[in-house]
Amino acid sequence: MKLKRLWTSKPLKASYDAIMIGGGIHGLATAYFLAKDHGINNVAVIERRFVGYGGSSRNTAIVRANQRSQSNVKFYDEGLRLWPKLIDDLDFNMMFHNCGNLNTAHSESALSASRLSVSTAQFCGVQSELLDRKQCKELIPALNMSWDITHPVFGGMYHPPGGVLRHDGVTWGLARGADKHGVHIHQLTEVLKINTSQGKVTGVVTNRGEITSPKVMICAGGYGNSIAYKLGIRLPVHPLTIQAMVTQPLKPLLNHVISSGAYHVYANQTLKGEIATGAHMDPWPNYTTNTTAHYFRHQAEALTELLPCFKGVKFMRHWAGLADMSPDMAPIMEGNYPIEGLYLDVGWGYFGFKSGPITGKYMAEYVAKAKRPEILEAFSLKRFENFRPTGETAGAYIYGPWN
Amino acid sequence: MSYIITCPICGKRDLYEFRFGNEDRGPAPKQERLTQEKYVQQVIMHAAVVGPQKEWWCHSSGCGTWFTTFRDTTTGRETDENGTVK
Repeated sequence: MKLKRLWTSKPLKASYDAIMIGGGIHGLATAYFLAKDHGINNVAVIERRFVGYGGSSRNTAIVRANQRSQSNVKFYDEGLRLWPKLIDDLDFNMMFHNCGNLNTAHSESALSASRLSVSTAQFCGVQSELLDRKQCKELIPALNMSWDITHPVFGGMYHPPGGVLRHDGVTWGLARGADKHGVHIHQLTEVLKINTSQGKVTGVVTNRGEITSPKVMICAGGYGNSIAYKLGIRLPVHPLTIQAMVTQPLKPLLNHVISSGAYHVYANQTLKGEIATGAHMDPWPNYTTNTTAHYFRHQAEALTELLPCFKGVKFMRHWAGLADMSPDMAPIMEGNYPIEGLYLDVGWGYFGFKSGPITGKYMAEYVAKAKRPEILEAFSLKRFENFRPTGETAGAYIYGPWN
Repeated sequence: MSYIITCPICGKRDLYEFRFGNEDRGPAPKQERLTQEKYVQQVIMHAAVVGPQKEWWCHSSGCGTWFTTFRDTTTGRETDENGTVK
């Protein structure tokens, strides 16, 4: 059998209509939609390492639309509904498994917070419901219902349309789709400098030479700050290392994604049977992507207290990636500000995977028409200096590495 | 792998005893003619330097002292201002 490459290697041209810095889900999706929906296929995706090597393959592949504020819920809901269509369009099996998400509440106040989120979701027409303790146990029989644990279960928020995908499949599918439409994917190509002239972007300097382009988008996930700062632009984003791990494969016992804010754990059983679990972020900004024994131990303790049947199960792999946390836990999608021709797609925190294709769709529209799509109104960079955060967190600008 | 930084009072301690207090951006802007943009630049906008960065830290689980030091964001190691590991 002759193996066929998913995408081809093309020569680096001296000029493109648009350049995506970052060959992850966001960059590939934007390039794909630019070519497919807007007829702009003279596009380059520039990747410092390999396609999907960063956050795109280091996440836990969970998708959901049960955020707190309406602007977020509407955006992620559209993203959630895009997956089946994208899988058809790309003709690539991304193993979408919409098994539903249960977010457990471990106090009366957490239950009240869940009640607010459920109301927001239902108001926006998104399926989400409040469960009591007993219903949580029915949904996930392995759940520890004892009152004599650190954080007893009080109830939960169940969001049936959520689920998991195969994140490598998403990257490969998008890369193949973009390539088919004529997009150039350049791996091992690092952007050293973004050129500007008279307040306009004119191109980039890479380790393989200079490229001119009137439009440059920064979609490098956790590395967004470091690229924007090459232009002297500071972003309200902390790059934080976030860790995850998988256990040995087990027989099916966890049929939903479960997440717990109090235990700081989320877990789901992959189609291979492994329990993929994670959540810890380093409480200080860094680009290390180091895993730590400190967290390995914490994760084992928290997971086995919430789901005691995992005691004695072995972890197989442990890895880390970068999350670009913004102070209001909502993304920043900005165009032509502060420099004309510069597009920012940063601050995703741990929402980068679930939002990939839908962001690509709307950022492609933004780049093609140079006009902000209405659904992205809430996510401007200017909201911070105007003191209009999205309302995803209770207070303004509280979210930092320290909490 | 553990991270260690030097508290001016207590000496070398585990980084988990400390609270990160943001990168050092110099003195706060003057109150007169302070614009929202300037304020936000000072409070929440980060350079997030790749490499040694001057930062504020508080020994919150120890003596409570606030101090500045350099830390290489690509390795997590405390350094001096030239990037030499302490």
